Amino acid sequence: MNAPDRFELFMLQEGEKKITEKVVTGMSNASDFILLKEDHTLGNLLSAHLKQAPHVLMAGYKIAHPNVPEVLIRIQTDGTLTPREALVSVCKQLVAAYGHLGREFQKELALRQYADQGEHAAGGGGMGGQNGF
Amino acid sequence: MDFDPMVMDDAESLGPVVKISQADSVRTKFELSNVDISFANSLRRVMLAEIPTIAIDLVEIEENSTVLADEFIAHRLGLIPLNAEGVESLVNSRDCDCEGYCEHCSVRLTLHAKCTGDENMSVFARDLVPTGERLNQVLGTPIVTDSEGLGPLILKLRPGQEIKLECIAKKGIAKEHAKWAPSAAIGFEYDPHNKLHHTDLWYEQDPKAEWPPSEYAEWEEPPQEGEPFDYDAVPNRFYYNVETAGNLPPDAIVTEGIKVLQQKLAGLIHELTEGEGGDGANGDYNGPRSPEYNTGADGFGGYTTPFGNAGNQSAWGGAGGTTPYGTTPYGAGQSSWS
Repeated sequence: MNAPDRFELFMLQEGEKKITEKVVTGMSNASDFILLKEDHTLGNLLSAHLKQAPHVLMAGYKIAHPNVPEVLIRIQTDGTLTPREALVSVCKQLVAAYGHLGREFQKELALRQYADQGEHAAGGGGMGGQNGF
Repeated sequence: MDFDPMVMDDAESLGPVVKISQADSVRTKFELSNVDISFANSLRRVMLAEIPTIAIDLVEIEENSTVLADEFIAHRLGLIPLNAEGVESLVNSRDCDCEGYCEHCSVRLTLHAKCTGDENMSVFARDLVPTGERLNQVLGTPIVTDSEGLGPLILKLRPGQEIKLECIAKKGIAKEHAKWAPSAAIGFEYDPHNKLHHTDLWYEQDPKAEWPPSEYAEWEEPPQEGEPFDYDAVPNRFYYNVETAGNLPPDAIVTEGIKVLQQKLAGLIHELTEGEGGDGANGDYNGPRSPEYNTGADGFGGYTTPFGNAGNQSAWGGAGGTTPYGTTPYGAGQSSWS
């Protein structure tokens, strides 16, 4: 009845910004980043990789309530980088890593299909796309 | 370059490694290694919930004399997998300029069946006929994989009963409703010998005797007898089993998942670097950081106020904050990037 629309889990409302930085007072070189309409997919991914990044002293994320699609990521750096720079460089690195994964996958898939075709040369196995109907 | 290579660069330079053990029209099984568990899990989560596909979203029922209620049938129709090839060029219905729906943001399907014989009649997904303009010849066609070419059973009719309806299929993601999920199931497994003790195996007498070994058990070294627990160990090899519901080929689910994740990350980069001018979300990034940035703490001093005052995660607070960050400190350093 009064359940919120499901699309509110992933669609930004009018005037909302995907990511907002809030400087943490009382901690040096620390910022909170509030990601709207995101979940553990990005929260865990980013905080785990920020922890491994250089010049990052501390990184963590929380999802304050399971029904509220908001992620808070707190980053503290050693001052060489701003938290925002650290976050951007981790994002860039991850985009590159996933790009690498995509290319590896395509390469391996081509090899696999080639091998399968060899095995089923006589049987004519219908490997690959399945959109032939 | 005054850029410290990242700690993880060692592993990253090798990058993720993929080994595919099975790839056919129903499933793709592969091993992903040399990545962090969060990296692997994000891919799994995105493949489950955030790949756009197409599913019936609106049903107009003209005639329903079956024993099933309208909404019951509508729900069943929604769950029928439709071919999602080319769905990326379909406009999201909410973003479309049209009123309601049009051929750019939807596919129309009709179903009309009447039992005229004297035996009960079954209505299958193959009886759903796409009508009207479509972006391509297969988008929105019900998936039929059984040998008789029938597709999923929708309902049954007794003699004299009739069903006549029109469906509007729209683009969406499984976060909104599971009917848009491209995968029937995604197997995700690591550490088949439970060396990391991430799980507790319940047992009566002997866990070894009572738990069947994982199919990936022989891919990894079993633990030695009396081996001490390695508390520094992290999972490194992940076994995926991506099974399609029919709407997208299984390998496309993986590649689409990667694409969606990259888009999410690129969106963040774009928002975070907005106002730096020129340096968009593309291009090569790993340039050195300019030393001007080292004044970090000072640079921040001036900007605490707009954030603090406007406060909260409200959009206004954000807007006020982004400008000072975007223009001054970052723009200056940009020239020294390689």
